Formats: sequence, C-alpha cells, structure tokens
Amino acid sequence: MSLFRKKKLFTILIGIIVLVALIGFSLKDRANLTTGEQFVSDIIGIMQNVISAPVKYVANIFDNIDDIRNTYEENQILREKLAQYKGLIYEVQEIKEENVELRELLDKKDSIRSYNPIHATVTARSPERWIEQVTINKGTLAGVEENMAVITAEGMVGKIQSVSKLTSTVQLLTGFDEFNRISATVSRDDEGNDIFGLIEAYDEETDSLLFKIIEESDKDIEKGELIVSSGMGGVFPAGLPIGTVKEVIPDQYGLTKTALVEPAANMYEINNVVVVDRILRSEEGEEE
Amino acid sequence: MRHIFLPLILLLLVVFEGVALDILPSSLIDGDLMITPHWVLIFLVLIAMFYDRKDSYISIIYALIFGLLMDIAYTGILGVYMFSYGLVIYFIHELRNLLHSNIYSALLFGIIGIIIAELVINLIYYFVGIMDAEWMDYVMSRLIPSILANSIFLLIIYPMFAKRLEKWKNTKIK
Repeated sequence: MSLFRKKKLFTILIGIIVLVALIGFSLKDRANLTTGEQFVSDIIGIMQNVISAPVKYVANIFDNIDDIRNTYEENQILREKLAQYKGLIYEVQEIKEENVELRELLDKKDSIRSYNPIHATVTARSPERWIEQVTINKGTLAGVEENMAVITAEGMVGKIQSVSKLTSTVQLLTGFDEFNRISATVSRDDEGNDIFGLIEAYDEETDSLLFKIIEESDKDIEKGELIVSSGMGGVFPAGLPIGTVKEVIPDQYGLTKTALVEPAANMYEINNVVVVDRILRSEEGEEE
Repeated sequence: MRHIFLPLILLLLVVFEGVALDILPSSLIDGDLMITPHWVLIFLVLIAMFYDRKDSYISIIYALIFGLLMDIAYTGILGVYMFSYGLVIYFIHELRNLLHSNIYSALLFGIIGIIIAELVINLIYYFVGIMDAEWMDYVMSRLIPSILANSIFLLIIYPMFAKRLEKWKNTKIK
C-alpha cells in the first residue's frame, strides 16, 4: 500500500515538473510555433472553419430579429449620411489622384500608409476569458506573418500573435500588455500640432487603452479626439484608427499625461477582419 | 469501432468550445460576467464515471491529451489545461465509488470538477501574471456563472450519454 501511495505522489510531482517546464517553454519569447502545434492548430482550424459558418448563421438569426426593429430609424439617419458621403467620395477621389501624381513627381512610391489587405474570417474565440484571442482562417500560405495589424471596418482590433499554415491567432487590443505597444498619434487637421505617444496596455477597470503621451504639443489633448497609429513603430502602417479619447489623466508626478482611449472597434462582435501587410518594411522589423 | 467514438466526440467538443461564446447573446459576454465553457471537462467526468473501470485509466489519458489540445488551440500556454484536467479526472476517478452513479452524483462530481479545474487554472494564470483580478471578483463574475452554465450543459448531455457510455463499456470486454 505504501509503495502505491509513493507511486501516486511521484506521479503528481512529475506532473508538476512537466507543467512548469511546459509553461516555461511556452512563455519564453519564441518566434514560431513548433511543428506539432502548427499541425494541431491547422487540424482544429479546418474543423472550426466547417462548423463556425452554420453556428454563426443560427446565432445571427436572433440578432437579425433585434436589428429589424431598429431598421426604420437607422434608415432615416443613414440616408442623411449617404447624401453627405456622396460629396465626400468625390473629394477623396480627387485628393487620392493628386496624391499619386505628387508622389510620382517626388519619385516616392510607397508610403508608410500603404498596405496589402488580406481578408479573413474569424472562426473561433478562445473560451479562456483571460486570454483575449481569436482564430482566423488565413495563415502563412495567404501571406500572414507575425505582428501584422488586424483591422475591421471600424478600426484596429489587434495583431497577429502566432501563425500556422492555414490559421493564425489574433491577440485582441483588450488583451494587450506592456509587451505590445503601438506608436500612435492624434489625428488633427493642422500641421505641427501632433501629439505622439504609445498605446501601452489595456486597463480592465476603465475598459480602455492607456495612451501615454511622449511628445506634447501646445494644444492639449481633448476628449473625443481620434487616436490613429503613427506607423513609427515599424510594423503597423500609419493611419489605422484605434479609438477615441475618453478621459485625460495626469500621471503620478504630473509630468506626463495619459489618455484613456476607447477602442473604435467592437471586440466582441468580430466576424470579418483584414490583416494588414505593410508594404514598406522597416529594416529591423522588430516588435513595436 | 466503438473506441473511436469517444475521441471523436471529445475532439468535436474542443472545436465547439471555440464558437461557444458566439452562441451566447453578446450582452452577456460584453458585460462583467465571464462565462467559461468547460464542455470537454464535463464529458470527461461522464467518461470517468460511466466508461472507465476501477483499474483502467482511459479517462485520465484522454484528459491529458485533450487538455493539451485546448492549450494549443486556444491559449498558447501549454500544460495548464492538460495538468488541471488530468488532476480533476484523477480525483473523480478515485472518488466515484463513494456514490452510486446517477444524475445527482454526476452533477455533484461535475460541479466539484469545474471548481477544482477553475481554481487550478486560475492559480497558475495568477502566478504567470495573465490573470490580475481580485479573487473575490473572480468568484462572483467567473466561477459561479461558469458553474451554472456548465451544469446546464451537463444536464443536457447526461440523458444522451450516460446509458450509452455504460453500454460501450460492456461491449469493450468482448
């Protein structure tokens, strides 16, 4: 009997050692997934691909019933907006053409704004709620690489955390920590009034991103201003909308300010995303 | 042919957990409640209670394999689900002879299993630094809702699988 108990104790101890070793292995800064992990994620990814479409279809039916009730009001507002946009579209086209012409004059084809879009569909969301991560159905075969930005129509939702052949996982903005910074700026009309800073982390208590201001300008940052990526980090292109300023708080010593930024995109209802492949690569391609 | 059913069902459950949160209305997910599906664990509890014999450890082996699959597919931190699922199923495997196997004992073991698994998983994440909530908040917003939601799941699949698992167990010997 005592031998049997010893054996049990031994097994549990070995289990704990294996656990610590595995956690240590997966937490260290590794560049790529191992072949085994890629294989498993691909297999599960394929099955998720098959299953997610019908499940989402059924789930959407309930949402649609909700939507229909608001349709009339929304339609009125949208019509008004549409009339405004018609003028805007024309203007944007003119400006784009002019921009291309001017760039050709300057012999500077690619800017840090331009990128190749890779369209993808979200197939699964991690059931572990501490880990804000979704799986998309495009992998290295489609050209997805680690650390690329992921956006929806509304704005940025996250970045690629790991890739396998057919699927990749996206770390959502709500799961960002100190190791995932985005260099960002405030979008303003007039030159010279830009504020630069870093999106440092996501704050659970206030449900917002912390935008730490590095370079102040004469004009203080205000509530409601739009924060966009600045493209200075070397990985994300410039001009991706991140969110709007909700509140500005001074830090402990009153030297710098931090703005609480509400993400522009809804992190819970993501279906179709675009993976942003920046055309102009930085020399080192380091993580921001 | 029967042996292939269990791994297939477990694999399907792993895949379904990825879309589980889409089924719930978004107001539930958006809010403070953090309901976590543990369907694989619930099914493993049923396997440990109805399919395994006293001297066979199939349920524990499945717990280790599919816990690892969960880790790879959904968290990227290997070993956490594997260890906690393995531990829980080992406990259930040892405890199950204390009670008759019926729906009440299944519910009790399921709830005990979820509590142990949740606590172990979150303790590990707490030490690693992924979880940073107060333990009190954690119990209110995650542990209790998860227990309720997963108990409902157990009550749904119990009638479908309890008898069937016992039947499969008996055909195994022949």
